[in-house]
Formats: sequence, structure tokens, C-alpha cells
Amino acid sequence: MRTKTKVLLALLMAFVVHLSSAQEKMISGTVTDGSGLPLPGVNVVIKGTTQGTQTDFDGNYNLQAEVGQTLVFTYLGQKETQATVGAQNIINIQMEEDAQALEEVVVVGYGVQKRKEITGAIASVSGGDIQGLVTPSFESQLAGRAAGVQITTNNGILGEAPRIRIRGLGSISSGTYPLVVVDGVPIITGDIGGYASTNALNSINPNDIESFEILKDGAATAIYGSRAANGVILITTKKGKKGSTQVSYNVVTGFASPIKTFDLLNTAQFLETANEKRTNRGQAPWAIGNDYDTDWQSAVLNSNALQMDHNLSVNGGTDRTKYFMSLGFTDQDGVAVSNNMKRHSIRTNLEHDVFDWLTVGGNLAITRTELNGLNTGGNSLSGNIFNATRQLPNIPIYDPSNPTGFNLSADGSVVGQWDNTDPVGDNISNIGYVLVNNKFQSISNNTLASAFGEVKLLEGLTYRFQASANNTITNGFLYYSPIHGDGRGSNGRLQNNNQDYLRWNTQNIINYNTSIADAHNIGVTAVMEFQKDKFKSFFGTGTDLLDEFYNKNLVTGAYGTQTSGGSVTENGISSYVGRLSYNFKQRYFLQGSIRRDGISKLSEATRWNNFTGYSAGWNIANEEFFSGLNPAISLFKLRGSYSEVGNTDIGDYPYLGLTSASQYGTLNGIAFTQFGNDLLIWETSKKTDYGVDLGFMSDKLTISFDYYKNDIDGLILDVPVPQSLGVPDSRIKKNIGNMVNEGLEFAVNYTPFNTANFSWNVSANLTLDKNKITNLPEGQDIIGGTSTNTNIAPNLIIREGESINSIYGHRYWGVNPANGNPVYYKADGSLVQGNLDTQTYFVFNPSNPGDLSEASSLSAADDKFILGNSLPTYYGSVINRFTYKGFDFSFMFRYSGGNEVFNATRRDLVTQNFNNNSTEILGRWQSASNPGDGITPRLYASSNTFTNLTGHATTRFLEKGDFISLDNITLGYKLPSLVTDKLNVDMVRFFIQGQNLLTITDYKGLNPEMESSGVDINGTPRSKVLSIGLNVNL
Amino acid sequence: MKKIFKYITLSFFGISVISCSDETLLDLSPINNISLSDSYSSASLIESSVNGMYNAAAIGQYNSTNPNAGRGYIWGAAFVQQGDNRGEDVVNTATFYQLTYTATYDPTTANNVYYWIDGYRLINRANLVIEGVTTAAEAGIITQAVADDYIGQAKFLRAITHFELLNFFARPYNFSAGASHPGVPYREVGIDTQAEIDSEIVLGRNTVAEVYEKVLQDLDDAESLITNTSLTKASANAAIAFKTRVYLHMRDWDGVIAEGNKLTGEYTLEDSPNGPFNDSYGNSESIFSLTQAATMNPGVNAALASQYNRRRLVAISPIIWRDPSWLADDLRREDNSTETEVGTGMVFTAGGAKFTLKYKDGVNYTDASPVIRYAEVLLNMAEAQARRAAADLGASLSLLNQVRNRSLADPATQAYVAGDFANAGELVGAILKERRIEFLMEGRRWSDIHRLQGDDLQPINGIPQKVANGTPAAELYTLGTPYDGPYGVPAVPYADFKFVWPIPQVEINANPTLADQQNPGW
Repeated sequence: MRTKTKVLLALLMAFVVHLSSAQEKMISGTVTDGSGLPLPGVNVVIKGTTQGTQTDFDGNYNLQAEVGQTLVFTYLGQKETQATVGAQNIINIQMEEDAQALEEVVVVGYGVQKRKEITGAIASVSGGDIQGLVTPSFESQLAGRAAGVQITTNNGILGEAPRIRIRGLGSISSGTYPLVVVDGVPIITGDIGGYASTNALNSINPNDIESFEILKDGAATAIYGSRAANGVILITTKKGKKGSTQVSYNVVTGFASPIKTFDLLNTAQFLETANEKRTNRGQAPWAIGNDYDTDWQSAVLNSNALQMDHNLSVNGGTDRTKYFMSLGFTDQDGVAVSNNMKRHSIRTNLEHDVFDWLTVGGNLAITRTELNGLNTGGNSLSGNIFNATRQLPNIPIYDPSNPTGFNLSADGSVVGQWDNTDPVGDNISNIGYVLVNNKFQSISNNTLASAFGEVKLLEGLTYRFQASANNTITNGFLYYSPIHGDGRGSNGRLQNNNQDYLRWNTQNIINYNTSIADAHNIGVTAVMEFQKDKFKSFFGTGTDLLDEFYNKNLVTGAYGTQTSGGSVTENGISSYVGRLSYNFKQRYFLQGSIRRDGISKLSEATRWNNFTGYSAGWNIANEEFFSGLNPAISLFKLRGSYSEVGNTDIGDYPYLGLTSASQYGTLNGIAFTQFGNDLLIWETSKKTDYGVDLGFMSDKLTISFDYYKNDIDGLILDVPVPQSLGVPDSRIKKNIGNMVNEGLEFAVNYTPFNTANFSWNVSANLTLDKNKITNLPEGQDIIGGTSTNTNIAPNLIIREGESINSIYGHRYWGVNPANGNPVYYKADGSLVQGNLDTQTYFVFNPSNPGDLSEASSLSAADDKFILGNSLPTYYGSVINRFTYKGFDFSFMFRYSGGNEVFNATRRDLVTQNFNNNSTEILGRWQSASNPGDGITPRLYASSNTFTNLTGHATTRFLEKGDFISLDNITLGYKLPSLVTDKLNVDMVRFFIQGQNLLTITDYKGLNPEMESSGVDINGTPRSKVLSIGLNVNL
Repeated sequence: MKKIFKYITLSFFGISVISCSDETLLDLSPINNISLSDSYSSASLIESSVNGMYNAAAIGQYNSTNPNAGRGYIWGAAFVQQGDNRGEDVVNTATFYQLTYTATYDPTTANNVYYWIDGYRLINRANLVIEGVTTAAEAGIITQAVADDYIGQAKFLRAITHFELLNFFARPYNFSAGASHPGVPYREVGIDTQAEIDSEIVLGRNTVAEVYEKVLQDLDDAESLITNTSLTKASANAAIAFKTRVYLHMRDWDGVIAEGNKLTGEYTLEDSPNGPFNDSYGNSESIFSLTQAATMNPGVNAALASQYNRRRLVAISPIIWRDPSWLADDLRREDNSTETEVGTGMVFTAGGAKFTLKYKDGVNYTDASPVIRYAEVLLNMAEAQARRAAADLGASLSLLNQVRNRSLADPATQAYVAGDFANAGELVGAILKERRIEFLMEGRRWSDIHRLQGDDLQPINGIPQKVANGTPAAELYTLGTPYDGPYGVPAVPYADFKFVWPIPQVEINANPTLADQQNPGW
């Protein structure tokens, strides 16, 4: 069909050309845009004929035309321009920007809206802005890109999901992760299983992303109703564009290294302090021998991890069909030894106009991600950092005389003690052996398929049906060597598992847009959406292995003890949605939406709820009385919105009283494990937003300002029940709490220069955020905060009137100069010293510090204080972009602060056990005349829990989390067209890039962002990456 | 034509819309969990619910979010580990039990907190069994005889768990006249509704006397109701045996003897002191133990064979090792392990330190957790015979020798004779020492320290001083002289508030009634 048309057209043209050849002459010229840059691909047509051509890459065209004919120049985003052929042979055209046509369109829930008509708070990030950055998944690249959006990568492990917070932390016990929607399909997020951490969003190839829209306020999110409490991230993938086929190839190769490593003692320093711990306690030295000075961190960290990313894409289209296809391959080694990721991805987008009233299309994305992980437990004996920082420097990693080649104790239970009198403290393994032998793997196959049909019923009225399925299947494999490490106790361990997550989603969408009398613009959207999730998993485990030969998969009969298990959960959601928007001459805007959601997670009586959102805007700059100011002030819009949205991330059947299979030995049993509350309803987020958008000098400078308030009501809290009642988990879920996030956002974008040879753009954003718990059941504190991690929880509290997850513990005064005892404040402000010799407390009198006559105590219940706020109170970034001829240069500084971090890693590094220490311990109290740094007490062997109060937070290890970091810096160079023309390619660009090269902070740990809920506990260092790359367009 | 297409297309979409109804999408019920309301609806589910109660005893939950991933709190492993580490006869070598060992616990430390939480978790499951089984019997789902057996077992677990908590969270029976000082709340209602929470939350600590009375009442009921005779579930004999322990703590010596006599002929001591451990499920001496299977046990972080054997987190203390009453050739010192191979004896040596080998299966952790065995009943009776108003030192000595002689290399020359003891006090001293040796690493030490405060014959003041935390050096184990230091963990006097554990802070925070009833000093 297409070929036929072409042939026909060619014949016709030949005929026309032939007929008119006598009066024609050759016209040539160059077409440029408003700034004088050549415009390639401009259509040049002789008016009233089908004769025409396109400008080449340098904007030049040649065309046969007759005198008196009119040439019509058209180009997307430029005003149509006409020129009459006269005597001249050269017609140069400078086209003008068409503001109307260029009007930016923004993706919103279930549709698109013009940027200028938006009344909600939506941040847009172009995929191009983050292209080329080397990260395991796209979301960490969004850090700093938008006001109100906080993304934290708190360790260097590939496969772990970065933390995303949109306008603060949205819940106490329910989910706090935003909804992620790809091309209209809500996708599976979170960890999708296996034994290496596997972030579901890893499966999206960042190169395929055209743009992100981050919906922040109620007006923008209300259309997602019950799932909108934590904000929504809309991702639009690349689509085919009408025109000739474009092939592009991008490659980046980088080297990652730890952002920083720990400053540990060398052997000489270690021998001195380790033995001082013992002699202070009246015991014989335990550290002996200085044959080695081993850097154990080198056993767990790669300083030169290779990271590669290849991407090839093809896109193009005809009048009726548009297509996009991409292939991606990523191969990254982590900064942690044994951690790596390989991703193969393929994505196709296809759209076809069957008739002028019917468009069908589909997307298919298939990704296979292979991750190898490791034990990173902050308190695990074989946790990489926990272990490496505790190893003794005066023993070797390797021992050729041991059959394994590693330095192990005679029975293989712990790392060999060498000449030391005692085995290393905390019974740790030789991490070198563990990392070589033990395996933690996840292989995920992620399929995202969707198809749609769109029918134009009337002018402005469309009906769209979309069906999609997202399926992730993850195979996990775990192996523990029986010889040494975590598997020794069970004589080895083999584990395979399979986790299958299926989500299907159907949407029926009706959109109607009309304009009455060119003044009243009306938009209506109605949606019916159904979604069901099903999660199935099973696993098999073998312990007591036949031999370490069996280390690749479960093999029947190769182990003594076998266990298996599995689980199925499912949930559904049914939704009916309506949205009405109206504006008068783009001056006054009104929008309202309502969504009625039913979810299977709640009881029949409470499962349906309505979620509404309202917003209004006034673009003063479009008023006639303002037109005089328009040259200077191009945009002046006021916005306001209010909505009530919900949170469905509340578990699958939280309202039911349930039992769980609970075996006694091998006897089958069931037992009460979930207390039911059938009155449970949704958490409601009441979101308010007021904003101003300003544009100056034709939007050369734009400024946005937002005030937001998110009042989260009816928080589902695990209300503590007295433990002595024996209720499961001693908790009942009730809608009882109340929390407020409140803040200000500023965003500025300024382009002082924008010429053919030089341009400079600077954008900056700042968010001020404040969280406050306004109501807890009976005002009761929740000790442990939102964390279930036993290393983190004891340091946190949720208390009315305070910020969520405040750091809670003892206030440290310092070291008693007379005897080196640690001194703390009691609740009444008086001081107590922890007497190391007796491990009991005595009153401390600064004027008589040696006095140990009056016994006292340090109460975990009464003598604790709120020590700090774990949430940053300000954050933002400054991004600069320059181009000069073929060069481009950009860099981003990101900053954050106002929070405190409890540096539990630092506390671990001054352990009093027989382990290595950080150099901080050199500041210890040694005598009244040599009192050290005043912070580090006298050494006292094996007194860790008392000297360092390991069960509690103290101000001794509390630090400010403020920082400024140079997140990325890129220098690129595009080959001039002189060269590319010869190579017959459209574009060639080389670039070099650095990520996380510099962090300015007073924080004493590796990095102030390496915290979870405000606690830094033995995380793998984040990586800095130096990379080079190449982009080629054919 | 065009319109027809349009309508066909539309109706096709329309069908896909209608075919999805709200009911099928929203009316979902759990696939993994049987609802609580169904858990007593058939004979087999009732049996499973009873097993679920034992699951709480054997596994607990500890701080896990997984209801079946506990650390053996309270009867699966923790009562042994905590009971040992509160005493001076073991040395904690790592950080694991350090807070218990050095008495540096507070109301938030996990060891004492989860002792309380998992204890009451088990008690509530027992109470739910009593109620569920009673209702099911009334409804005719099971016979009254079957119901009685289950109810008896539930009462047994309820009784011994309250009694165990009493020994850690309250002062001993003889602390006040009539034991009128605070004990622990005795829970007798199965709580699964808000109304039951509201009515139970107002009940504060019962007095120690009240708890003893209820424990004995429950044990008497258990004795009369239970028909089960297997070792790993409660039996009538287990209730009787446990009563000898309770009466001993109450200092009701005649009660000890009366109960103990009921078991004569029911159990016999194994020939070897290693017998109850070599075959922990099939010996003639164990009275009540908890099952640990390879697939369901307190795990690498708590199973006795993991903690005491494989991971060597707790060593035998030189204090008891070098005690002269423990003869050098006593069979309970048998050590045939090598540096690389674990042997078959009762002790093994690693890094010069001595560790118990009572728990054999360091790979699959299948050793039963011993709760009470006949040797204890005999020594309880021996002590009672020596202490009762009409003391019978002969009977006492004979009972002591029954236990001790099987461990002697040459009983003919080494056995105790009447002339070894000048008075009842000395004999009781020997019995108490024998308990420390015989039940070493079985968690019994704390109970004895607790009940012997201010004792008339063999008083102990508080918690004795201990060897420093850490692996003791080999030379500290050299036999020949009693151990006399160095010590690294100071004694805790009886008067010190630390002698008893604090009620957990989480309980105090959530329970307005107990908030005012914290142990003094905490």
C-alpha cells in the first residue's frame, strides 16, 4: 500500500515537473530559527502543488520553482512562513517561534495537559538531563532534580532501592513509597525477591525514558485516589517520531570506587590500644605479633569496579505508524566485592492509526536482571563492613598452610588468631573466604506489556481502552559454604526460591476537550480502572550438605535436611474516576476530580471510599490590563489546591483476626498471629498547596514558589497493647495517629545567554520541610520509630509534637578527667559517671571528679532525651549547563541538612572487644595528665555495652547531617558537522563525567546520606564513578 | 461501513469492561492463613491449635516480625541460656549474653524484655486453647476426655511459665512475710477481642503468694486432667515433677516429698550422666522436654547446640570447674574431643576453655530442650528431706548419692557417706553443689541463687562475682585448687535493685496499671 502510493506520487511529480520545466528556475537558501541557528528538516512546499523538499542538516534547501509561485516553510514549533519567488535565486528565511504550538504539554494522570493550564504541583524532568549517568537504576539520578523530591542512595550496594520521599515521609506504619506509573501503567515497585537485593525499578533501562513528571500536591495526585498519599512518579518512555528512521547508539564506561573508606588503626597503633584495653582491666595483653599490617577493607571493597552501559535504539514513523525499539545492556561491578549486576533489556513501542478515528498501539518491555549480592548485615558476623572493620590488622587474610588458602582457626569456626593470645572478638569469620565462596543471587525477568485502542468518537471526544500486565519472576539462589562463615553451623546451606508477582490493570478512559467561543475551555475525563495483584512464592532449602561441590543449585539428595515453603497473597482495587477542568481564556482555571476506590484489603463495610481534589489558578499575565507588562513579565500565575487522598500500602488483610501455620517440631500447628480490627479504614492525606509561577523576559527567567501542607489523618498505627496480654506482636492496627508535613519549595531557572556559540543555563531549587507528629494514641511514645531493624530501632522515638523518628537516647557530657569514666546527664540535669571498673554508675561532681562514693543510675526509661531530628529540614540543588560551540559542560551541586545522624558505625569502630578500631580511639583518656580528646573514655576490655552504651543512642556519636555534594560533572564534545558529514552520521558526541566526586561536610562517617531512619550502621560505602561515553546518531 | 466498525470496536471494549465485576476483585480471603474464628472448628484444627501453643513455648518470636523465627524464648532455649548466664558457673565469651551475664541490663535490653513478652505470648495461647477447647467440647466437636487432656496441658504451660517469670521479675517467696510482695500478673483469660484487652489491662501484679497458689492450682488440675504420657508434651507426671520445684521454692519441704514420692517407679536414672543427652527423646530420666526438629528450632542464634556447642558463646566457668567437690575423674568431665573433631563426651575444649557437650547436634539443632528431669526431682527431695522439720538425713544422703554415684569413677571409694557431713547444713551444701554440677548448662543456676537468698542453711547474698566476660585462658582451668580469681564481673548484692529484672519499658509504656508497679530502683 505504502509503496504503491510512493510510486504513484513519484510518477505524478515527474509529470508535473515535465509539464512545467520551461518556466522554472532553481531557488536555494538557508532556513534558520529566531536565534539564527540553521533548521534542518524544514518542509518547503510550493503553495498549491505537491512539489517540495526539506532542508538538509545545515538548513539548506534547493528547489525548482516558477516566478510568482509562493514557497511555504513549515516546521514544528515555528510559525508558518511564506515567500514569493521573484527575481532572486536565493531565498533565506528566518522563522519565528510559534509560542502557541510550542506550548509544553505535561503528562498528568490519565492524560496530558498544557503546561500553562496546570494548577497542581508537578515537577518535570527530561530524560536527557540524566542521560549518561551511571547508576543501577534511574531513580537515584533524579536526586536534586526537582524541589520537594528527595532521593537518597544510602549505600553502595547495586540492587538496593534508593529511598524516595516526595514532600516528606508520608506514613508511620504504612507504605511511604510513591506510586510509579509507566506510560499509564502502575508498575510493581519495591524489592522483587531472590537473595540479592533486587529493586524492581532496576528493570527499567534509563535510556528509554523520555521524561518524568513527579506529581506532588493533592490536585495532581488526587486522580490516583487511594494510592496517592506518597506522591506519584509518571514515566513516559520514548516513542517513535514521524520522519526518517533514526538510529542512536550510546555507550558509557566507568570506574567506580568507594566514596571514602574507614580510617582504621595500623598494626603498631592497634597493638598499643588493644593491649591497653586489657592492662587497664588488669588482664594480660592479648594482641601479639607485628608480622602483618593488613588492610582488611581491601578484602571487601573494589577500588576500580568496571561499569558499562550500551544502548542502541531505532525510532521513526510514517503518517500512520510510529515505532521505537531499543536494546540495552548494562554490566556493573559494585564497590562491594561480590556485588555485580547485568541487565539486558528490550523495549518496543508501536502506534498505528488504523482509521482516522481509530488508533491502536502497544508497548512491550522485557528485562532480565542478574544480580549477585552478599551479606551486608550491619550486625552480621559475615556482614562485609561489620566484619572487615573488626578484623585485626596484625593477622593475614591468607594462609597458604590452610587447605582453603585462607587464614582460619584450626576448627574453621573463626578467622585464625595467628600470634594473638585470643581469637578475634565477636567470633567473626574470615570475610575474604566468605566473599569468595558464599553466593547470593537474584535473576529477575520483568515483562511489562500493554495494549490500547483509542477511538475518536466526536471532535474532542476520545475513548481509550488500555490493558496491561506487569509480571516479575525472580529466581534466587543462595549458597553458604559448609567450611567457614554463615554456613558452618549448619554444615552448608543451599537455597533456591522463586517469586512471581503479577499485576494486571485495565483502564477505560473517556476524554472530552472543547472550547466555547474561544474563551471557555473545558476538559472532562472519566476513568474506570481495575487492578489485581497476585504474589506467589516458594522456596527449597537444603542444609547439612554432602560436599561443598554442591554449590550451584539444589540437587536432589545432596543434603541431609531439607525444608521448603511458600506463600500466596492477592489484592484487588476497583476505581471510578472523574475529572473536570475549566479555564476562561487561560486566565482563570478551575479543576476538580473525584475518585471512588474499593480495595480488597479492607472489610466489606469499610472498603469503599471517595477521594476528592480541587484546584484553582489565575494567570494574571494573561489579563488584558497586564499586557503592558508582558514583555517583562511573561508569566504570573497563582495556584491553589486541596485534596484528600489515601494509602493502600497497608498489608493484605489487616482487618482480619488470623492464625498462621506454626509447627511444633514436626507436628502441624496453627496459632493466633494477627489481631483483627474490622473497623480499620484508610489513612487519609489532606494535601494543601499554594503556588506562584513567575516568568520574566519571555521566560528567560522563571521562578516557582510553593507552600505545601500534608495533614495525614487516621494514620494506621500499630497501637501498642501491653505485652503481658500476649496479643500477637503486642499491637493492634487502628486509625488513630495524625502527622503533618509542611514546607516551602523554591525553583528558579535562568538562561542568561543563549546564542549559537554560547549558552548558559542555571537552575536551582530549595525545599524547606518540617514534619510533626500531632497525635498519637493516648499520647504514648512509640519507641523504635518506624524501623524494624534491631540495630536502628532502639535509637528512635515517635513522640507527639516532635518530628517522626527523632533520635532518642542519653546525653553525653564527656570523659571524667580524673579517671577516664564516661559521664552522662540524668533527666534532672545532674551528672553521673559510669565507673568502668565496676560497671555501675556513681554521681559525678565536676569539682571532685574522682569521688566514687555516691551510687547512682542511668535509667533507660527516664534519663533519655530527644537528641535530634532525623529528617533533613532543607535540601536542594544548583545545576549549571554551558555550551560553547561543540562543547557542553554541566555540573550539579546538591545540598541537604538540618538533620542529625546517629553514627552507630563510629560507635562500633571504638569497640572495647578484641577488634580493630578507628583512629578515633587514639584520643582516649590515658591518665589525668594525658586525658585525650575528652570524648573517648579510658579503654577497658570487653566493656562494650557499658563503655559505649551499645544498646542506646548517645550524643557522643550524634552528628549533623549537613552536606554539599558535587553529584555530577560532565564535559562533552560534539564533532562539527564538517566531520560528521564526512562520516555520514548525524551526530557524534564524546563525554567524560564524574559522579559523587566531592562532598563537603563535617560528618565523621563515610557520608552523611548513609543513614536509614537517621542511623548510620555499617553500610557499604557509596560509590564515586568516573566515566567516559560516546553518543552517536545515525 | 465505517460506523459499523466503530460500533463493533466499541462493543468489544465494552464487554471487557463489564466482564470485570467489583465482587470478584474485592472479595478476597487469605490463602496463607486460617481465620482465627475457624481455628477450633474441627478435631484436627483443635489438635493443631494445641501444637501451636507448644510452638510458642519451643520457638517464641523474640524481636522478629516472623511469628516462627524466634530464639527459643521461653522454654526452647532461652530459659537455659538466661538461667545459666545470670549465675556464676558459666562464662559468657562473646557479646551475645553479655548484658545478662554482667547484670548491665535495663528495661529495654532484649534478653529480659523478650523473656517477658514471649512468656506472656505463650500464656495467652494457652488461655486461648483452654477457651477454644471448652467451647468445642460443648459444641460436640471433640469429646470431653480429649478436651480435658488439652486443657490440662494448657494449664501446665500456663503454670510453669508464670512461675518462670516470677523467678526473674520478682523477689523470692521468702522476701516478705506471707509472700505478699509483688509477683507478676497471672493471666487466665484468652485475649483476642478489644473487650478482653480492656478488662485484662486493669489487672496489676498479683502477689507472689497469689501466683504460687494459682501455679499450684493449675498444676493440680493438670495432674488430674492430662492423659498424655509423651515426653515432649505435658504429662500428669510432668505436673507432679514441676510441683516439687515449686514447693522447693516455697520452702514447703513436705510438699516436695509428697509430690516426689508419686514419681517413684515412674522414672529411673540413666546409667550414664550422658544418657539423657545421648538420647534426649528416648531416655528413662527426662520428664518434660521440648521437641526441636531440624526444620523447626530456635535457629543458629539461639538453639542450644548452636550457642553452647557450635558457636561456643558460653563456656563452663573455672569457678565450678575447679570446685573440689567436682572430682577430677567425674564422668561429667568426660572430654574425648580433639581440636578438629567433636567427640562423644560431656565436655569439649576449645582455645583452652571448657564447653559443654550436653547438646550434641551442632548441625541440625535437634536436641530436645530439657525442662525437667528425674535427677532434679531426686535432688529436690534430697534437699527437702534434709531441711524438713523432721529431717531425715539418711534418706537425704541416699537420694543425693543416687544422682551422684553414677558419675563417679569409683563409687565404692568416692561416694558420700554420712560421716562426711557434720550437720544438715553441710549436707544441704553438698546437695546444692551437686545441683550446680549435675545441671551445669541446663539453666538451673539462677533459680537456686534466687531461692537461696537469706537461706537459713546455705545463704547466698545476691549474685556472686564472676569471671570476666570473654574466653577464659586455658590455665584458669587447671584443676587442683579452688578458683579464687581474677574476677571481672562484680557481685550484685541482694539488696541491689538489679537483683531482679525490670518489667520491660514497652510494657510500662503501654500498661497504665503496671506503670506504677515497676520493680523498685528501675
